Amino acid sequence: MAKISIENVHKDYGDFTALHPFSLEIQDGEFVVLVGPSGCGKSTMLKILAGLEPATGGQIRLDDRDVTDLAPGDRDIAMVFQNYALYPHLTVRQNIGFGLKMRKVSSNQIARKVEEAAKTLGVSHLLDRKPKALSGGQRQRVALGRAIVREPQAFLMDEPLSNLDAKLRVHMRAEISALHNRIGVTTVYVTHDQIEAMTMADRVVLMRDGVIQQIADPDTLFQKPVNLFAAGFIGSPGMNLLSAAFDGAMIEMFGKQVPVNIQENAQLGGVIAGLRPEHLELGDGPVTFQVRPSLVESLGSEKYVYFHDEAHHIVRSGDAEEENDKGLIARVSHTGHLSENENLTLSFDPANLYLFDAETERAL
Amino acid sequence: MNRTPLQSILLYGTVIFAATIILFPIFWLFNTALSTTVELTQLPPSFWPEEAQWQIFTKVWNDRPIPLWLWNSTITAVGSVILSMTVSVLAGYSLSRFSPRGSHGMGLFILTAKMLPATLLVIPLFAIFRSIGLIGSLWTLIIAHSTLIVPFTTWMLKGYFDTIPRELEQAAMVDGCSPLGAMFRVIMPVSMPGLAATALYSFVLSWADYAYARTFLVNSQGNWTANMGITTMRGEYVTDWNEIAAAAVFVAIPIMVIYLFLERYLVGGLTAGAEK
Amino acid sequence: MATIEQNLKPRRFDLARPSRQHLLGYILLAPAVILVALIIIYPLFISVDLSFQNVKLARIGSARKAFTLANYEKLFASPDFWLACWVTVKMVTAVTIGSLLVGVSTALLVNNKFRGRTLARLVMALPWAVPEIIAVVMFAWIFDSTFGLISWLIWKIGLTTELIAWVSTPGPAFWAITVTMIWKGFPFVSIMTLAGLQSIPDDFYAAAKVDGANAVQRFRWITLPCLMPVLGVTLVLVMLWVFRDFSIIKTMTDGGPLKSTTTLSIMTYEQAFGFFKFGYASAVGVVTLIICVVASLAMLGRGSKAMY
Repeated sequence: MAKISIENVHKDYGDFTALHPFSLEIQDGEFVVLVGPSGCGKSTMLKILAGLEPATGGQIRLDDRDVTDLAPGDRDIAMVFQNYALYPHLTVRQNIGFGLKMRKVSSNQIARKVEEAAKTLGVSHLLDRKPKALSGGQRQRVALGRAIVREPQAFLMDEPLSNLDAKLRVHMRAEISALHNRIGVTTVYVTHDQIEAMTMADRVVLMRDGVIQQIADPDTLFQKPVNLFAAGFIGSPGMNLLSAAFDGAMIEMFGKQVPVNIQENAQLGGVIAGLRPEHLELGDGPVTFQVRPSLVESLGSEKYVYFHDEAHHIVRSGDAEEENDKGLIARVSHTGHLSENENLTLSFDPANLYLFDAETERAL
Repeated sequence: MNRTPLQSILLYGTVIFAATIILFPIFWLFNTALSTTVELTQLPPSFWPEEAQWQIFTKVWNDRPIPLWLWNSTITAVGSVILSMTVSVLAGYSLSRFSPRGSHGMGLFILTAKMLPATLLVIPLFAIFRSIGLIGSLWTLIIAHSTLIVPFTTWMLKGYFDTIPRELEQAAMVDGCSPLGAMFRVIMPVSMPGLAATALYSFVLSWADYAYARTFLVNSQGNWTANMGITTMRGEYVTDWNEIAAAAVFVAIPIMVIYLFLERYLVGGLTAGAEK
Repeated sequence: MATIEQNLKPRRFDLARPSRQHLLGYILLAPAVILVALIIIYPLFISVDLSFQNVKLARIGSARKAFTLANYEKLFASPDFWLACWVTVKMVTAVTIGSLLVGVSTALLVNNKFRGRTLARLVMALPWAVPEIIAVVMFAWIFDSTFGLISWLIWKIGLTTELIAWVSTPGPAFWAITVTMIWKGFPFVSIMTLAGLQSIPDDFYAAAKVDGANAVQRFRWITLPCLMPVLGVTLVLVMLWVFRDFSIIKTMTDGGPLKSTTTLSIMTYEQAFGFFKFGYASAVGVVTLIICVVASLAMLGRGSKAMY
């Protein structure tokens, strides 16, 4: 276990900057998740941490030891890959013990440690099989076994659950979290799935186009997103975003005047208001308005109500066009039937509004 | 598949017809080998000898230096394969994993190498080997055959390595291997099928050469390869066709055997180098 | 938590360091580059060099002769050269068309599912496995003027009034070689075409059937277009093979009779090792190479990458 210090690490490919200067202090035993859309640089950062790719600049320290230019095998880290990367020509036993063998650990010790690791991950009965005889979930567990057996100072995980089917993913998520609670090794975990980030992380590092957007624990990230991208990325379904005219004390939404408390004032180019679907309610409330739903999706005890406000609706950057077409979403608790194309009353509490500067996209 | 009986007959009929025509020359070779000289100098040609002369094979084997020729062809091929494979495996791996700044140039070069007529290259190679006194030695062939083999095998191997995920080496490096260690301990064992197929293909390429053998070894009868030996059996005026046919069978057998092993890799290996 | 001792031996020149990892790429490529430079590039330069000299039997290390264009002048003025060009073009065309026809047909045939299909595929590719020299033995005998099967057959059917001396008559000799080459060459086309056919998704055909296309239409609108890239590459490779061939022609007819089967490749060899005119031969060889390169690139255009 160790703390990891990343200082101003950046990566260029010729003219193209894949990773802008990235700094982060990871505490001993922390579970940090790097999350963001494809191409945001999260995997690049992980590979640099592992020593599989050279950084163009910056420093990495593991427990105050400078490892920036150290071979991957010398860093005392273990890595779990998206496609498991198990050695096809070796048995599970040999796979798990490979790293120990490279380090010239005695065969008795190897045997003992492999048995231990296999037991922890519940793969003891598979030890003499080859990887191709295993299911996806079993392979992932073997990969995890290979990682923990060396008792390294840190784990690096590169989208380990992306290749599993949905149900298995949920199950393995819990297993990895449980494993972390048990063993307590510092972990850096990369994913594009914000649900994994929210459920597993001690802290989340949100990235986009090689730049860190926000570093915070999941709750803070959810409640206080620092910019439009963060607001839109976290939460499912995503936050509704509308442009709203601001006259100094009020903004206009859905034809109503809504009082807001914005500290900076006159220089604003415009305001974008964000409202999470779950903060919209049926019936009357502090701010009430009428809509005509274009689509109602029923999930049993919940409903997603889609409605439009073309004039003000903002597309979140990175959205697929279809989502744009669907319009704004309200997530309401309701059983029974809600018909489309019939007027519906919705309301929200202004306290639940997120406000952003339209130009800088930063939170207000 | 739902076929009408007529379609089935047509299909099977065509297949059998085509197969017969394709196999015919091979059958005819055996027919010729097993016929007596008398039968061979008669018209109409007989489609199978009255008494198959199996002893022709032992006769030819003992009378002619066939074992010597086969031996020479074999050690030349083995030598070429070792030399070419060593070089191409490393290069193919490099091109697959590293894409160094020369790879497009390397590709273009390999393209040109496939277009080089051996009859062009044989001239300077002859001059070079002559100046270093190597003419007549099988080493000339081992080296010259690499010019035939390396352009193909490098690209075949690159294509093959491309199918092995890079994460395997990465995992091995994290586990403590050096990059070379990862290559030899992990990638090579995993690539065995592809390596074996490529090696066999190289063997076939080397065995097939005639141009270089004829030029470099013409005066060294003890080093003649099988291809050379066979052609000398065609006399200026008279050829013992049954003998040469029997000899031909001996020379063809090793390659046909290899082909049987190679067959399932043929499509993959040949096309890996030539498509997309 | 106890850590396992990092018992890795320290490496002096550590290629595993991130900053040095890319060096391995160059190191691994070096042997190939060196070998190729020594046995292909260097000799190629020598060839070109020789072609500009009036050299009989070349010797490396002896003084270079004077630069002269005489070889090339002689070449372009020589009727033998143009004859060789013409023979080469004829042969390339004939063999390529023949191989293509037979190869594609057999591939289409074997692409169907039927019992014994694997065996059929094995048989279809068999000629590829037979060494060229052996193929020559087979066909030389079959085409033998006096006792060969074909001569007798054609005479029997009544196509000719007397036995054709295949190997010693210009026209027939050409066709004897062509047939031999087609027999040797079509399996390659078959295999490539088969691979191409099998990579066409079944869904295409299913969609076409739903749209009402019959077998001929499906072939024309789906099979052919999807096959074009593969056929293009295959075509060029076959072309190059015929261009470069030495074994078959040399041992079957030795370029005769009356130079009717002398391709550029044969001419190159003859001039070098028959007449010992290395300079002139190199010139012929260089011109052959240039024609090859130009023709291939012209045929493939920017798709030349596909040929790696």
